[in-house]
Amino acid sequence: MIFWRRKTREAELDEELRSHLSMDAQTRIERGADRKEAERAARREFGNVGLVKEVTRDEWGRRWLGDLLDDARYGLRMLGKTPGFTAVAMLTLALGIGSNTAVFSLIDALLLRSLAVPAPGELVQIFFGPPGTKDPLSGPMFDRLRERQSAFTDLLAWMNAPMVLTEKGGARPITGAYATGSAFPALKLKARLGRLLSWHDDQPGSGSNEIAAVISEAFWLDHFGGDPGVLGQPITVDGGVATIVGVMPSSFNGITVDYAPQVVLPFAFDVALHGESSCRFRATCTWFHTMGRLKPGVSFAQAQANLATIAGDVLKDSLPSNYQRVDYLRNGMLWLTPGRTGNSPLGEIYGRELWTLQALVGLLMIICCANLASLELSRTLDRQHELVVRSALGAGRLRLVRQLVAESAILTFSGAAAGIVLSQWISALLVSYIEQSDFPVFLDLRPNAATFAVTIAIATLTVILTGVLPALHLTRVHTEEMLRSGAQRTVARKRHPLAASLLPVQVALSLLLASLALLFAISTGKLLHVDPGFRVKGITLFAVDFERRPEKGEARLDLYRTMLAALRHAPGVEAASMIAARPLGEGGMDESAGPVEGNGPETKHLFENVVGPEYFATAGTKVLAGREFSEFDRFGRTPVCILNQAAASFFFPRQSALGKHVRSTEPNTARDTCEVVAVVADAKYLSLREPAPPTIYYSYEQLPNFEWIGFITRSHDTSAAVAAFKNGLRRVAPDTPLLPPITMQRQLEDSIGKERLTAALSLFFGGLGLLLTSIGLYGLQNQRVARRTAEIGLRIALGAQPKDMLWFILREAAVVFAIGVPIGLALIFAASHFIGVELYQISPRDPRIYCAAVMTLLSAGFLASSIPARRATNVDPMVALRYE
Amino acid sequence: MPEKKERYQNRIELLQGTLDLLILQTLQWGPQHGYGISVAIRNRSGEILQVDTGSLYPALHRLEKQKWIKPEWKVSENKQRAKYYQLTAAGKKQLSRERSKWSQLSDAMAGVLNPGQM
Repeated sequence: MIFWRRKTREAELDEELRSHLSMDAQTRIERGADRKEAERAARREFGNVGLVKEVTRDEWGRRWLGDLLDDARYGLRMLGKTPGFTAVAMLTLALGIGSNTAVFSLIDALLLRSLAVPAPGELVQIFFGPPGTKDPLSGPMFDRLRERQSAFTDLLAWMNAPMVLTEKGGARPITGAYATGSAFPALKLKARLGRLLSWHDDQPGSGSNEIAAVISEAFWLDHFGGDPGVLGQPITVDGGVATIVGVMPSSFNGITVDYAPQVVLPFAFDVALHGESSCRFRATCTWFHTMGRLKPGVSFAQAQANLATIAGDVLKDSLPSNYQRVDYLRNGMLWLTPGRTGNSPLGEIYGRELWTLQALVGLLMIICCANLASLELSRTLDRQHELVVRSALGAGRLRLVRQLVAESAILTFSGAAAGIVLSQWISALLVSYIEQSDFPVFLDLRPNAATFAVTIAIATLTVILTGVLPALHLTRVHTEEMLRSGAQRTVARKRHPLAASLLPVQVALSLLLASLALLFAISTGKLLHVDPGFRVKGITLFAVDFERRPEKGEARLDLYRTMLAALRHAPGVEAASMIAARPLGEGGMDESAGPVEGNGPETKHLFENVVGPEYFATAGTKVLAGREFSEFDRFGRTPVCILNQAAASFFFPRQSALGKHVRSTEPNTARDTCEVVAVVADAKYLSLREPAPPTIYYSYEQLPNFEWIGFITRSHDTSAAVAAFKNGLRRVAPDTPLLPPITMQRQLEDSIGKERLTAALSLFFGGLGLLLTSIGLYGLQNQRVARRTAEIGLRIALGAQPKDMLWFILREAAVVFAIGVPIGLALIFAASHFIGVELYQISPRDPRIYCAAVMTLLSAGFLASSIPARRATNVDPMVALRYE
Repeated sequence: MPEKKERYQNRIELLQGTLDLLILQTLQWGPQHGYGISVAIRNRSGEILQVDTGSLYPALHRLEKQKWIKPEWKVSENKQRAKYYQLTAAGKKQLSRERSKWSQLSDAMAGVLNPGQM
């Protein structure tokens, strides 16, 4: 509608002004003037018709819309005329904006996004231990705290637990969680279907009543086909039966951001399964992730103060009397953190790296902008003649600026759209680095309002940097001078100061990115090649869950033995054994122990592992002295243990540890003292970064009722080991769920996921930065050569040598580097302070890194400038000067 | 070229209120087209007030937008289609408002410039 009305108005205005002119001319003719003379005089008197139209149109209002459409149409046409520039710019923007959006969406998901519950700002998390540690509470601790507190409307506890779903078709692992009955009321969550859990569902020991369960919407849709009849259906989980009473809304995925429970059960379910030994009642079972909702009017600080006054009593009443950490008891260690975003273990681990990455992609975006701005500048400089003509025909400066800005806005926002699409892939890539293979990560990375807002903000900033600033510079045109002089001049005008200052900035930032990339890459490379003290190649680890097997005690041991024998005899498996705490895995075991003999130091904090016979031969850890555990180190025989070198030399310095005894100071251990039968080489335990800690190994066969053990195999081919494990399990314990196996290689890579993430991405971004800067330099030099063809021709005609011309062109690049490199070095020096902790065995101020980065940048820059420079030396003076 | 444009803009601002009054006043004697208005103002002011087209047409379109004048396409005396503007009822009210404002202004100016005569 606006279109045709506008067209009509335009035509009307045209006619109105034309009638003015002709009436004026008519009057003059009547007064006796010659027709031609009269028309000329009328026109002279009237002034600039275009400009009058323009200022009149201004009065129409709404004009910006029509103009905007004009600008957009014209902009599209101009962009279509320079497909090369458009493609490069779009790609640059898509990569820049895509990377920023991807990293930000991860930060948003892990660290920023609120839980999808009403008034999430009122939620707090409560932890046990000194401030900074994030240990959950125990069931009794939660109960005592809930009785005494007065700052919260209610408290809730939540425990994520992988579960096994048993159906007609077989058993399969699912994600589950236990919640107190207070959880959903305190979160103020409404059901998607049916109802959610309440206190009535969570009366521990309420007998054999049906226990209620709620399921997630995703699980409801995938598994039950979205059938509303699911309500009232029984579900068999972990060997117990519950009744589905409701479906949670899709926006709510539990209180842990990277874990989405498919089934949520009341703790009463666990009590029904395990009775008095349920985690619900055990003082040492600290898995109750506790949150509270602040009462209206109670501040965070007041709640913290309330907690401090009752914490001592709560802990005294809920911890066992022989609790080791007396300091916790004395100081009443319970503390609060804001709970708006829920619990984010991955956020804790990756927070720092993600912000580092965000800084890197932010830098990259600045380089992108600088690059586009200088491309835009040089492109517009080439169009200066056009701008001058348009200005002479009556286009206002603002109009010209808008035209140029419209072009960059079109570019940027289509680049941003492409970037959002691209960011989905980049996010998936990021998550694959973060993901630990034995623990599926659930992250909701669908673009949401926050990520869109950030993307649009970045895009707008980009438009300002790449469109508005250059446009303002360029439209300060001196029309007459330009019109008079024409396009070609022998000595080019001085380049724009803006363009001149952009390149050194790009060089400096690229240098920074390149150095960071090198640092992270080398650091990660060192980590990957560090000797962990065990074999990596060919090793596969298997978790196994025999918990629901009927066999107990000696029969359970036999089950493991049969399984181990099955693995050992399987084709393709070279060796097999058992291990409890996976090397470089998520969890470890520790204890305090001391030597019995000698007058060495008393006790030491030790890492602990429980392994099967011939473990060290299987894992490839050297036995330095003594013998491995064997089948004969059974329960009832002499308790034996093995020390690693670090532990042995600590307890028994300058003497052989063999035959000596070590006493554990942990209470309630059957293995009071043990005889050291071997000393083995140090092996990394939890982290590749840290030196191998003093470690003690126990024989699995000597620990009755020890459940946390898995299998380890060595084979040429992983698939052979996996097949052997599957076959063995099917034969030995058919209804056991198959947990996903993991190779040692993957385990090792997972354990340095953050480092690999930072290294891979900083290399990628660093490379991109380098490429963009090279393109920028190339573009600038190219344009310089083109603009100065006449001058170069003249110089060659006057006898300049090719190498003089080469230098003439390269000189400019040299200046750019001379300014940019020191700035870049200063930036790295400043940044080194922040990244030092993220590096392994390399100093962030290693001069070799700086040299390498500078050399890389210089060669890229030289390459980029040498092509235009070569073109300059080939200028034919005759051709060049003929234009003048 | 930019200087020229600035000149126009200065004029518009300088004449804004006054030009509107002049146009409305001119239209009180009957519908008139842009050229006619500029000629009328020039003649009636004894050739002193020269209205710039760059000010006149924006002013006409502005007054039209405010519904003080309404346009009509008619054929002029010398058989040419031209856009005639006509004063509306609202325009007449506006004219009397502007007139009284103007006379207040000119009285005030006179008082300041010739203090003895008041």
